Amino acid sequence: MGNKSSLMLQEQDIRDIQAETGFLPSQIERLYSRFTSLDKGDSGTLSREDFLRIPELAINPLGDRIVHAFFKESEDDHVNFRQFVRVLAHFRPIKKAQDNKLNAREEKLRFAFKMYDLDDDERISREELLAVLHMMVGENISDDQLNSIAERTILEADRDGDQMISFEEFCSALERTDVEQKMSIKFLK
Amino acid sequence: MKTSVLLLACVVWCALGLVAASTPTKEHHTGTTTTHEPRNETLGQVHGDGVAVHSEGEGGHGIERYPVAVIDFERVQTPFIIGLWIFLACLGKIGFHMTPKISHVFPESCMLIILGVVIGVLLIYTQAATVSPLTADVFFLYLLPPIILDAGYFMPNRLFFDNLFTILVFAVVGTIWNALTIGITMYAISLTGLFGLDIPMLHMFLFSSLISAVDPVAVLAVFEEIQVEEVLYILVFGESLLNDGVTVVLYHLFEGFSELGEDNIMAVDIASGVASFLTAFVTRLTREVRVIEPIFVFVMSYLAYLNAEIFHLSGILSITFCGITMKNYVEQNISTKSHTTIKYAMKMLASSSETIIFMFLGVSTIQSTHDWNTWFVILTILFCSIYRILGVLIFSVVCNRFRVKKIGFVDKFVMCYGGLRGAVAFALVITINPAHIPLQPMFLTATIAMVYFTVFVQGITIKPLVQLLGVKKSEKRQLTMNERLHERVMDYIMSGFEDVLGKQGHLLLRNKFKRFNNKYLTPFLVRDKNVIEPKLLETYSNIKMHEALEQMHNSYNSPQNIESFSNLLRNAATHPHVQMNNQGEWNLDVAELEYNPTVRDINDAKFHHLLSNDYKPLKKSRGSTYKRHAVKDDDMQTQSDISHHNMYLHTRQFVQNDKKLYKKAKKLGLVAVREEKGASPQHVPTSPLSQGSVGQDLASQGDNGVTKTPQDHRAAFQQNGSAIKLKQDYIARVIQDNPAFVNDDGTPIFPDQQTIMEKRRQSTKGPTMAEMALPWKRYYQDGEPQDPRRLQRALSIVNSEEDGSQPTLAEAVLPWKRPEDEEVCQMPVKQNEFPAWASNKEYVNYYSPSSTFLGKLGRHDSYPNIREIFERRNSSSSIKSRRGSLKEHPMPLRERSASRGSIDVPSTSASGTSTPTTAHDPSVPHLVRQRTSTDCSLLNTTIVEEDRRGDTVIDINPSGTEPEQTRM
Repeated sequence: MGNKSSLMLQEQDIRDIQAETGFLPSQIERLYSRFTSLDKGDSGTLSREDFLRIPELAINPLGDRIVHAFFKESEDDHVNFRQFVRVLAHFRPIKKAQDNKLNAREEKLRFAFKMYDLDDDERISREELLAVLHMMVGENISDDQLNSIAERTILEADRDGDQMISFEEFCSALERTDVEQKMSIKFLK
Repeated sequence: MKTSVLLLACVVWCALGLVAASTPTKEHHTGTTTTHEPRNETLGQVHGDGVAVHSEGEGGHGIERYPVAVIDFERVQTPFIIGLWIFLACLGKIGFHMTPKISHVFPESCMLIILGVVIGVLLIYTQAATVSPLTADVFFLYLLPPIILDAGYFMPNRLFFDNLFTILVFAVVGTIWNALTIGITMYAISLTGLFGLDIPMLHMFLFSSLISAVDPVAVLAVFEEIQVEEVLYILVFGESLLNDGVTVVLYHLFEGFSELGEDNIMAVDIASGVASFLTAFVTRLTREVRVIEPIFVFVMSYLAYLNAEIFHLSGILSITFCGITMKNYVEQNISTKSHTTIKYAMKMLASSSETIIFMFLGVSTIQSTHDWNTWFVILTILFCSIYRILGVLIFSVVCNRFRVKKIGFVDKFVMCYGGLRGAVAFALVITINPAHIPLQPMFLTATIAMVYFTVFVQGITIKPLVQLLGVKKSEKRQLTMNERLHERVMDYIMSGFEDVLGKQGHLLLRNKFKRFNNKYLTPFLVRDKNVIEPKLLETYSNIKMHEALEQMHNSYNSPQNIESFSNLLRNAATHPHVQMNNQGEWNLDVAELEYNPTVRDINDAKFHHLLSNDYKPLKKSRGSTYKRHAVKDDDMQTQSDISHHNMYLHTRQFVQNDKKLYKKAKKLGLVAVREEKGASPQHVPTSPLSQGSVGQDLASQGDNGVTKTPQDHRAAFQQNGSAIKLKQDYIARVIQDNPAFVNDDGTPIFPDQQTIMEKRRQSTKGPTMAEMALPWKRYYQDGEPQDPRRLQRALSIVNSEEDGSQPTLAEAVLPWKRPEDEEVCQMPVKQNEFPAWASNKEYVNYYSPSSTFLGKLGRHDSYPNIREIFERRNSSSSIKSRRGSLKEHPMPLRERSASRGSIDVPSTSASGTSTPTTAHDPSVPHLVRQRTSTDCSLLNTTIVEEDRRGDTVIDINPSGTEPEQTRM
């Protein structure tokens, strides 16, 4: 579809998106209205500013990373509806009936993993972990403590001894966590 | 199995005893009230009677004598009997849990009710005192609050609020649904005349409202045992907690006919919220009065409860929310100790109240007046079950529309089945005034039947059913750092996306609250610096502590781990330098150069350091003064960290392990068989610290004191008694004729000593570690006999004389050392005035002769046997003292060791067994002096070669170092 996603949602688009993401048409329409309300410039795309205009997101410690996640797939600094929906599709609850790759457990995990992976090298280094910790915790914990927490975290997950957490290691560290539930949003119909 | 049966029998017996105890009180009732003795009776008579209770005590007329002995059972009757009940119940519980067959089938509550019934029957049968059964006031004011507070306080906040919507739907709407449907149905049936009497509609609704509530106590009792998955648990339990609010409202609504509308849940929340914030605020100020902290927690929540009760609101709701809210802030303020106190006190109170409630239930079953109406009872149970099921099905459909995680079929089933009725309903039905509602007995009977049905039938069957259906069990485990961290990240992600979606989900609400909390509430309510993610830190420290403990458990298996364990602990602890000091000192220690420890010795020593450094405060607390209002945290710190008993066990195991190792070594022929028996346990230089002190003590005692030193006992062990005499004689002599041996130069002239040495030599079979050290020692010794003196000066005379481990050897060394010492210089003598340990504050505090038990013993020197127990500590002390004294010459030693190269290896702690072969030098000096070595083993490890040459004395200790020094 490219950047030229239409201002009006076509039947064809809905079907395409539904096939790709597994959203119901009603959900897609709802998402679309949200999309257009975010799109202040009526350009059919969202810019970073559009996202950061959401007040809560702006103060979310991981807000930057979250916004960044939307722009991962787009070449320029704009997110069209299709990309928007595709990112959101990661958080559809998993149902057996409609299996879709985007919302599989692994994809959810990968999304979380990407939050840490600042330099996109498919592994989390200590520095990256520290950076995220800093975002979350702020200034109140001493650097020493943060350091030891980060080290501890890596030590725990690191299986191959490279002082980094690869995606596989990340997954196995969260083996017992109910990721499916934790990373699902109830999308309204 | 036998014991459990025995215990159960014991319980029954106790029950009989209880009844017997209460029975006479009835008979004596009149007597006891008049405790005054009849005027005529003399004191002697009173004495003779022993018990001054006379039923015909007509105490009206006259002066009362002072009753010498009075039995006033009446006064304590009620609490006494209740106390007995609890005692019985506890016995019953123990017995119950020791019978695996029974406890697998029955939930505990069943057992308690049965026990209550038994007691009730006995009480009735014996016409004993009517201990007033469960009254509503007792129940609501004293028994219920602890249980609910416990539940609220330890409620997993996050789960609860995640599922709050579902819980509320079930609790509020579900309960109303139950009450209305049951009421209407029963009323309709009563109209048909099936019950044979007319039941007014309002009465019917009153009954239905009280019977419709799921009971938290019963649910807790059953669900804690079946341990279902957390979400399921929180759904059922949360419902049972919250529906009480509705029940109470409905109950009062119908009971008072006109009392309307004064109650709503918001008011409850406000009241409890205010109370709990107040608690947090108060606990913020209690830094100085730690002991009071737990009281505040309890009192405040109790007040919140009573507050709600005053206004006829649901106290249960109030105290629940009080607990939930309070926990967040209070826990950050109070000390760990207070937290532990609260935790245990709460659990204890809750479980004892629960016990009492169920037993009361049993007793009241027997004692209450009943009106059995078969149809009424049956239909009550039937409709309760039916509407429970219907309600769950309907409302779970509703809730599923809003839930991410759906309520599955199995969950629904457990929720239906978990609808237990219990003590709350029972207490409510008791409060009904029969005057207003004549059908109260029938309601009571039906309620009891319902309670019994749910607790027994459902309670017993729920466990197998849960297993059959494969309900997910909850797994209790510690979150790893990764999980904690990533879950937090996921929370942020999700709330971020909810923002993007513009949805006001519960995550958003939570994050908003969190922000508000962090910004305004926490700084105000919490004492310490507020941390945005306290859980992260908490998890981190938990994990650390856990690991340290685990390491502790495993450390004795693999000696290498000791190092890492101590490191680990020290990371968190406040002694960052100890480790370094340890190593540094080991390396610099002259004594150590001569001391060729086995790996085992080293490990023992390390282990000891570890213990003495990290677990020392236990000793300290013994001496701390008693304070009524404060418990110093540092006094108790280690106790909470690791139970001392465990430490003891570990040490034991550690030592035993060593013995095994030693035996292995013996098989290898490294150690003489004979010595090993006696010496092996004493080898261990467990406490270098304390030895020095003992040595000091002994030294101060002079000649007499020496005779009974532990070393002699050891000698007795080793030499089977033959050597003791020799040694004692020798010691005495040496000390007495000081000048005599001062003049001896170099050559050992004491025949006694020779014999000792010879004996020793005989006992050794093979070359040991000492050997390797000796070669070069001997080698250089001939050339430079003077320098070692200096070093030995450094070792204070006191130390060398007594030195904990081997006085005899010390003496052997002294003769030729002394003269030189005096001649060369006086510096070392000065050193003696400040023993090595003097500079070590910790040592002075904990181990100095004046303060330790051991030291005191040493002073009097009259308990050799007890001393023997501490022998291990003594034997190692010499190391420490020497080490300390050597601090003077750190540099030269180091250089020396560097220059010496491979030969020096024995001095480093790790070298151990490998060195002897390499260091062994064929060219052995004729004269080798033996000095007091640090360890008993060294004594015994005389060298075969020397034996051959007929050398008389072996100097293990300082001589070896001299040559190096001279070389440099």
